[in-house]
Amino acid sequence: MPSRILIVDDSSLSRRVVRGILESEGHEVTEAADGMAALERFSLEKPDLVVLDMVMGGMDGFDVLQKLRQIDGQAKIIVATADIQRSTREMTEEGGSRGFVTKPIKKEELLSLVNSVLEERPA
Amino acid sequence: MNAIQTDALTELINIAFGLTAAKLSEISGSRVRVDAPIVGIYPLDALATELTTFVTGPVTSIHQVFSGPISGDAILFLNFEGAVKLSNLFVEEQLRSQHLDSSKGEILTEIGNMLLGACLGVFGNLLQVRVSFSIPMLHLESLKHFLTSLSIGGDELQHAVVIATSFHIREQGVDGRLVIVLGVSSLDRLIQAVERWEASQLRVS
Repeated sequence: MPSRILIVDDSSLSRRVVRGILESEGHEVTEAADGMAALERFSLEKPDLVVLDMVMGGMDGFDVLQKLRQIDGQAKIIVATADIQRSTREMTEEGGSRGFVTKPIKKEELLSLVNSVLEERPA
Repeated sequence: MNAIQTDALTELINIAFGLTAAKLSEISGSRVRVDAPIVGIYPLDALATELTTFVTGPVTSIHQVFSGPISGDAILFLNFEGAVKLSNLFVEEQLRSQHLDSSKGEILTEIGNMLLGACLGVFGNLLQVRVSFSIPMLHLESLKHFLTSLSIGGDELQHAVVIATSFHIREQGVDGRLVIVLGVSSLDRLIQAVERWEASQLRVS
């Protein structure tokens, strides 16, 4: 079932890649190029899912994750990052993310995670 | 380099530095925080000033020249105190000190070799270009003096492409910069390779 998904990434290439993958499955996609824009869009649009980059200029992904969860404690957020450290994965999980994919993005891996998170029932 | 090309190159570097940070985390046993990469083209005479904005205070650097279709210099800068602390992680407790001796210098050179190799290896793999590396060299001199040892700076070069990111290991007090400097003669080939990579990424979707 198509969902509304917000992509947060300071790289336009990454946003285009993720958008292409998600739109190929019929999802409705919006984008934010930095943390402030992400918080604004999230508050206004209440997307079903957020795909969040971690290494961004200005407000980094950890700050955005924390603030999104403050806005909505049930927000479904998955992380897409080039930072492959185990500690990053653990910290994002502790911060409330529902999953983690590493860049370069692989289509099947992202879709599999997106679908499983979208299917989760609210806690 | 236009905005789309710069964005694609920045993302490529983000991926390469991400893997490099994971390597450093593995080596140091600590979490590494990486800042967003910066890509810029600078006149050669402004390069020292530009690098000084990344590197302040006493600095230790490990420098590796790379060559192939894309050639240049890859440099790992560490704050002096951080370099000492990083090298101390790999020596027995009774040999730890606040100085850099030859054995610690060798350790730092090897760490630099691993990190620069990981970064350039990913860079080469993603761009599908073969990159050869020189033996890494440890430098303890001033930044200005160090810059004279860069392999770029040949006759035809007036500008350099600088790709840099900062990283921090908070528990160890280590601050570092990974910097890649390319001559503009490599720029056209770099842009072509980045455009091929960008197209391959978009095909994924």
